[in-house]
Amino acid sequence: MQSYWFGDIGDDGECKAFIGDITAAVERILALRINMGDFIPLNWQSAADCGICLNREEYIRKLREASILVTERRIAEAYGKKDVALLQMVSALDEIDNIINLLTGRAADWYIVNTPAFSRKYRRTPTRKLVKTIARRGEGAMSRLAADVEQMSETRTALAREVSDMAEKVLPNCSGLLGGLVAARLMYNAGGLSPLARMPASTIQILGARTALFSHLSNATLPPKHGIIFQHKRVHNAPAEVRGKVARVLAAKLAIAARLDLYRGVAVPEFLESAQARINAAGVVL
Amino acid sequence: MIWIDGVLVSKGEGGVYGERILKDARVWDPYRSKLGAIYYKGSEVDLTPEMRVLYLGAAHGTTVSHVADYTEVIYAVEMAPRPMRDLLEVSRRRKNIVPILADAAQPETYASLVEEVDLLYQDVAQPDQTSIAVRNSVFLKGGGTLILMLKTQSVDVTKEPLTVLADAESRLARAGFTIMGNEWLEPYHRDHAAITCRKG
Repeated sequence: MQSYWFGDIGDDGECKAFIGDITAAVERILALRINMGDFIPLNWQSAADCGICLNREEYIRKLREASILVTERRIAEAYGKKDVALLQMVSALDEIDNIINLLTGRAADWYIVNTPAFSRKYRRTPTRKLVKTIARRGEGAMSRLAADVEQMSETRTALAREVSDMAEKVLPNCSGLLGGLVAARLMYNAGGLSPLARMPASTIQILGARTALFSHLSNATLPPKHGIIFQHKRVHNAPAEVRGKVARVLAAKLAIAARLDLYRGVAVPEFLESAQARINAAGVVL
Repeated sequence: MIWIDGVLVSKGEGGVYGERILKDARVWDPYRSKLGAIYYKGSEVDLTPEMRVLYLGAAHGTTVSHVADYTEVIYAVEMAPRPMRDLLEVSRRRKNIVPILADAAQPETYASLVEEVDLLYQDVAQPDQTSIAVRNSVFLKGGGTLILMLKTQSVDVTKEPLTVLADAESRLARAGFTIMGNEWLEPYHRDHAAITCRKG
């Protein structure tokens, strides 16, 4: 039997048109998985014989109507996943960080032009305070620029908190190992939760170290030991001789955590405990 | 193909993506469209009004809109939801485009919608581009044409583009295709080769 969007055609050539409204037809098309082994491409004439359409024009019109609906449904499903919003949030966070850095640097340089005596040496002026100073003492647009940066920093703080909260919901196990913010970054680099869950640990280990990886592949440089997961304290605090090992163990546990997040969606305390112990053990130099 | 003063065009409703209009026809830019580029390179695969086309890797529907101007019906397969929204808009206005949101590597998910086609055009940035083409060749009728845009950098960045091309051609030949020729798309697109072959 061959199944097509408009119905089934038996081996004896008999056609059974699908009966039901358009919503049911869309559901059926979405669920259809054709066995490509004995597949025969459809012939629009058989749709006409089936009583679906009178002529080619009507066939194409009905096919388009159905396929556009199917496509709309698939788009809605793709955007309905809860990791999609998180991806946007991480992306926004990265961009805000960039903008704040750029504008802070620019505001400081500008301020120095007007205040030649200004220097940050031996003063330990944190950037936040510097921006505040410029906002208060600067003139006109400069002061407004600094004020905008200040305000954006507040937005950034709020957004970071939201990202972290959301990551703990979407990625409970990964967040358990990495913390919400880094877990969200990891997922962002993988392109989503389900791509992350499909990745081997070795790929997770070097996510975010793209330049180093490609320079390793095309030249003779050393392979990267870690990408984003370097931000985990157990990795960046580890002594140099075991850092690669810690990164490897952490990545292996993250690969499991990502799969738990995708398929179970809840934190698994036993796993987190044993994984944490394993990661701690990896950092011990004998 | 329609040329006006050496410029490739297609005839249809304009304003799809801000394309230039030349004497009432839509200019088909070889720098934006790889299929457009192969015609500037002298491809002999004509697009005709009775043609049925399966287009894998339809993206935002830029090239698709031009192909639709020339042919009877075009089945446009794209995997990513974001460009698909643009493609949907294009297919609402052009009554011969059938949009399909699916992974071209899994023809079983859209085989119920696609009929036998005269031309299979593939432009996907995947490492297994050749096997995707082979898997989709069931939709191509005997003697039909396959145009495979081989993005050599997606297959393997560490290999020489020429090696990747030779490898792809031998795999297509083994799958029962007759290689008609290949063309590098310089200067329009870098490290892209268009392989034209016939089924059977």
